Amino acid sequence: MSASSDNELPPGEKVRLGPLGPQVVRVAGAIGVIFLIATVILGLTNGDHMRRFFHSYLIGFTYFVTLGLGALFFILLHHITRTKWGVTSRRIAECITGVFPLLFVLSFVLLLPLLLGHESFYSWSNHDFVAHHEAMEHKTAWLNAPFFALRVVLYFGVWMALSRYFFKKSVGQDASGDPAASDQMRRAAGPALFAFGLTLNFFAWDVLMSLEPEWYSTMYGVYFFGGCGVMFYAALALSSMGLRRRGIAAKSITVEHYHDMGKMLFAFIFFWAYIAFSQFMLIWYGNIPEETAYYNVRIMTDWKWISLALLFLHWMIPFTFLLSRHTKRRLPLLALFSVWMLVMHWVDVYWLVMPAYSPGGMAFSVMDITATLGIGGLAVATVAKLASGVDIIPTKDPLLGESLRFENM
Amino acid sequence: MSEHNQTNPPADGPLWGLLAEVSTPTELVSAAAKVRAAGYTQWDCYSPFPVHGIDRAMGTKPTILPVLVFMGGITGTGLAILMQWWMNAVDWPWIVSGKPYFSLPANIPIAFELTILLASLTAFFGMWALNKLPQVWHPLFRSDRFAKVTNNGFFLAIQADDDKFDREATEALLKEAGATAIEAVHLDADPKKKKMPRQIPAFIAITAVAALVPFACIAKARTSKSSEPHYHIIPDMDFQPKAQAQQASALLPDGRVDQMPVEGTVARGELKADDHFYRGIVDGAWATTFPEQVPPSKESIERGHQRFNIYCSPCHGLSGYGNGMVAQRAEKIGSPNWTVPSNLHQEYIIRQPHGQIFNTISNGIRNMPSYGAQIPEADRWAIVMYVRALQRSQHATVADVPPTLRQTLR
Repeated sequence: MSASSDNELPPGEKVRLGPLGPQVVRVAGAIGVIFLIATVILGLTNGDHMRRFFHSYLIGFTYFVTLGLGALFFILLHHITRTKWGVTSRRIAECITGVFPLLFVLSFVLLLPLLLGHESFYSWSNHDFVAHHEAMEHKTAWLNAPFFALRVVLYFGVWMALSRYFFKKSVGQDASGDPAASDQMRRAAGPALFAFGLTLNFFAWDVLMSLEPEWYSTMYGVYFFGGCGVMFYAALALSSMGLRRRGIAAKSITVEHYHDMGKMLFAFIFFWAYIAFSQFMLIWYGNIPEETAYYNVRIMTDWKWISLALLFLHWMIPFTFLLSRHTKRRLPLLALFSVWMLVMHWVDVYWLVMPAYSPGGMAFSVMDITATLGIGGLAVATVAKLASGVDIIPTKDPLLGESLRFENM
Repeated sequence: MSEHNQTNPPADGPLWGLLAEVSTPTELVSAAAKVRAAGYTQWDCYSPFPVHGIDRAMGTKPTILPVLVFMGGITGTGLAILMQWWMNAVDWPWIVSGKPYFSLPANIPIAFELTILLASLTAFFGMWALNKLPQVWHPLFRSDRFAKVTNNGFFLAIQADDDKFDREATEALLKEAGATAIEAVHLDADPKKKKMPRQIPAFIAITAVAALVPFACIAKARTSKSSEPHYHIIPDMDFQPKAQAQQASALLPDGRVDQMPVEGTVARGELKADDHFYRGIVDGAWATTFPEQVPPSKESIERGHQRFNIYCSPCHGLSGYGNGMVAQRAEKIGSPNWTVPSNLHQEYIIRQPHGQIFNTISNGIRNMPSYGAQIPEADRWAIVMYVRALQRSQHATVADVPPTLRQTLR
């Protein structure tokens, strides 16, 4: 048994997207452009100074930021723990982190109007609002358009640099077969996790929590992180299954790997619920007006239906079903719950953003859907473009063999 | 590593079965598949670590332990909710932080903990029970070779009470399945050796009795009375060498901790010579004017409005009718010792001089406590001013409306 034969892909394994890549790029790109244009037109005709447009856009934007962050977390986690099972699906995560440059460009839609003095989106950018809310005067040192924009650029700078480094290193190893690259990535993963944790938390506070700028919660970033995990593991399971149907990486990503993706999805569903409840209970118990304002909007108005939907459909039902290993090992069932969680995570992001726009109660708009589809189309096209040029499995990773032979107890 | 001298296990008692050793986990799996295919039912595999695929090869049914653990968890959740409902809503109703007696969000942390506790206890003891543990005696322990099973040995044993067991045929099957060594294992002829050592049941019995001691103490405490002071577990924290208000002290004059200021001195900030401002008294009677420190102005009234809403409105209500949230609540639950807060629009209060209302805020009246320690004098005067404005607002006449605005009235 020589090391090389031990560490090779199963014979006949397809690891290239082939014609599938350009196909996806064309279709998803077209969907993205059409829906984004439709959203802009709807926003302009809505006659509210694009307020609705910005909120809908922020939902779609945040939704795919959580996808990228989840993927980045997966890469860093697997390097730092030297996990074996994740090797075969790591390249998919590396390709998903390719959305960050796109999202960076898309963030200009939010940042430029702020910098040009558009006041109707974040209430802290509104002079009238700040003048009438005593606490806000003390927050303007942090919440002001130029500093805000600078910070968002910084977060994306960190994410783009990290994802680029790990993507390049990993793809470089495919060509060179150098096992030292794995060690370098593992050493880099520690400091990278620090940078990841800080930027993720500050991003959540800045971009989402500041929608209701008088309210604050130190758990908010952790809650957001829980959502990132849910989003990514559901997306990872679905994209692996999509490739499997086309016969790509079908023998390398086996039921054993899907089982682990299911476990991580399950873990993050519970983690999300745990954090959501911890945040809620402290505020509910303390019952201090400036803290309860946030939940007041989400519980005492008809937003409560969304809150209840999150409780039952984002936690209780998927939690109960994913407890069983049979659900995680049967691909159609895992696919069902992955799609389910993708939808519920969108509802979760919606629940974070929209009550700031209409605190009186639910108010749906076609724009909410079209903005997400538009950004999603572009995101999928970007990832597919990146994935077309590389192998879908890190073929020369020294742990590949162990990952292929991985079995759950 | 030297193989120590291996002798066959003693053949004194009746035959228990055949023990076969194989050299690798992979061979164990294939041997298990062969034994299963041959139709044996009373047999088992032994290895130092879990072997992948052995369950399938042996045809072991999936364990019901996960179902038991799930049931244990659900029971924990239910018990926790039931317990908290019984404790706080039935047996000892107690308002915590203004929440209802039975309030689900407050119960979740305990429910969560008990779910985990009962689920893990079920997993632990369920595993023992399903494996028929503790098993202190087994015929295989008589084989020296079998000691390797905790280190690097892989074994398969077929019991003699299997219907298909046949000394020669079974031995041939095990050889064919890849056994490197086969031993006949016999039961011990001495029945005493099969018994559990006496210390183990004794230990279990003693622990079980000891576990009842706390319950016995609780039962005693619930049914008896005692005049003994309670135990001080950390006495030097309970009794610290420092003077506390109203305590006795051997060091200080008159044996008291509380002392009057030294004769003829005034502490900084305590010279409250201005009777009007500090006590609401002018020339021995209640002041009818506001002190010069708090001149009647829009700012003063607004300040008073804000302070009134914070300190006074919980009982007196935002408009001063004595219908604040606390008053409403007390009436709703029929509190027996509740003194109804005054309606500030009563004739006798309207007639009271400013100084008297100031004095009521400073020192309290009937059940209303003193607010002197919480509200500075200037704010108390501002509140008085706002109360005046409130009273005026409820008894306003057309004459109070500026002439230019009168035509807007209907």
